[in-house]
Amino acid sequence: MISIRDISKVFNAGRPNEFTALDRVSLDLRLRESTVLKGPSGSGKTTLLALMGCMSRPSSGRIFLKEREITSLPERFLTGIRRSTFGFVFQQFNLIRGVSALENVMAPAYPTGEKFSLLRARALEKLEMLDLGNRADAKVEQLSGGEAQRVAIARALINDPEVLIADEPTAHLDSGLAHEFIRIMRELKGRGTTIIVASHDPIVYRSVLADRVVEMRDGRVLDAGNTA
Amino acid sequence: MIERHRHILDFTLASLLRRKGKNGALLLVYTLVVFVLASVLFFSHALQREAALVLKDAPEIIVQRTMAGRYHPVPMAWLAGIKEINGVISVRPRLWGYHYDPLLRANYTLSVPAGNQPQPGTIDIGAGISRTRGAHPGDIIAFAGHDGLPRSFAVRAVLSYESQLLTSDLILLSEQDYRDFSGIPGDQATDLALQVRNPKEFRTIAQKITRIHPDSRPILRSEILRTYDAVFSWRSGLLIVIFSAAALAFAIFAFDKATALSAEERREIGILKAIGWETSDIMLMKFWEGTVVSLTAFLVGIILAYVHVFFASSSLFTPVLKGWSTLYPAFRPTPYLDFGQISTLFLLTVVPYTVTTMVPSWRAAVIDPDEVMR
Repeated sequence: MISIRDISKVFNAGRPNEFTALDRVSLDLRLRESTVLKGPSGSGKTTLLALMGCMSRPSSGRIFLKEREITSLPERFLTGIRRSTFGFVFQQFNLIRGVSALENVMAPAYPTGEKFSLLRARALEKLEMLDLGNRADAKVEQLSGGEAQRVAIARALINDPEVLIADEPTAHLDSGLAHEFIRIMRELKGRGTTIIVASHDPIVYRSVLADRVVEMRDGRVLDAGNTA
Repeated sequence: MIERHRHILDFTLASLLRRKGKNGALLLVYTLVVFVLASVLFFSHALQREAALVLKDAPEIIVQRTMAGRYHPVPMAWLAGIKEINGVISVRPRLWGYHYDPLLRANYTLSVPAGNQPQPGTIDIGAGISRTRGAHPGDIIAFAGHDGLPRSFAVRAVLSYESQLLTSDLILLSEQDYRDFSGIPGDQATDLALQVRNPKEFRTIAQKITRIHPDSRPILRSEILRTYDAVFSWRSGLLIVIFSAAALAFAIFAFDKATALSAEERREIGILKAIGWETSDIMLMKFWEGTVVSLTAFLVGIILAYVHVFFASSSLFTPVLKGWSTLYPAFRPTPYLDFGQISTLFLLTVVPYTVTTMVPSWRAAVIDPDEVMR
């Protein structure tokens, strides 16, 4: 269970451009379930994802991961949790240009010091799983949009995370590729991975993938949704 | 732990190769800085060492005569009195001087050797003279003497000493030819070379000579060595001072490169942090980046300088560091590496670069991982 208790996030606090991205949000997300955060731009979806994924700290409130309070942990521990528990698929894919798809997939695991041969084999396995085995050595700039996203998914899975977080994953994909993304996510969910997706794309939040749809607006949860 | 370093080093190398132009330019400038610094250090040190080796067999005391503070030939009559001084083993009058050759606009050193003197009418010449005048054993070459009249000499041999530092512009000839050529009368010598039994007595003997002949100037071998050291250190110091401007420019360039992290680099750091890298991992990557660049430049610069100084006769620095008029000796000092020198160079180049780049890298490494999501 990921429990969010009275979370607020204020950017540029005390300055003229102060902005409240999240305002006293509380939410419980069950593991092994897929949740879609739905809402327009600026509703606070991405900020909530970043907080749940241990990428930033809230201005107030607490987050519990399997009943362990994680908001007050030092950076090192947060990074450790981020690396072992969460995998991220970003809106812009955020692949590192100039290096191969395989190196991109392996990058999150480099600091763990895992044996190179094992790491490489696992990265290739993830790429194979996503039908990208033959593109492993291609530079990321040579990949199509769909391929780049699958590389980003493979990278998110390299450390075998319990939770996969995706931020507007279909924003740059056509309908065909968006459906392909849903298919992959369902497959991962079938293997026991918790999926949390932020999206305002109907293909995503109306899909069979969404066990639960949480509606957000202006930094608040309008509808916490129920398991479908 | 080693695997972690290996992975991050691998990734760093891949990153460096992506920005070939920028990193290549940095590496080139850096290598050049190390090359010039190392060349100056190697060369001045090699000269001092070579001079010390050559002077090892030089006389312990040389006695010159001065008149109104300027050099003047020594009367042969001084010999007897100096020989009488306790502790002096032998006194040898020496004949040597310089000759300006207007044809090649070069200065030659003329000297009468202590042993194995050439027969009158024959000379031994240094490699530099042989090269520039195209003279080989058996050839006849002529020089104008003190009275302007030409004297012809047959070349007996070309001097082929291992160190050409002192023999390149040398002409060895007989005493008779030297006196005839230079006009020095038979009762005078250029200076006197003394052999002394006990090194502790050098100064005492020098004082006694000055008492007997107030116009004499005894020169100790240690003083010559000290002068060489001072001259070479001064010259290399001068080069380093001039060069320090370039080194400073490089430091600014390196700092600028490191501080002005491109948007692309900042984005990449953000991505790495977002996918699970810690600040310390980013710092490790930046450390390896700095180490790879600086160590490569250091090693390549040192090797190039080594080849330049010990195998290419320091062709770039010859006019500055060696004080020869025209006949530059093809001076190839004995290859030699000094740990102290290498450490000094390392401290002067690698350490400042690493320190200069680490601080800005740290500033970039503390980027919030969620920056890439905004």
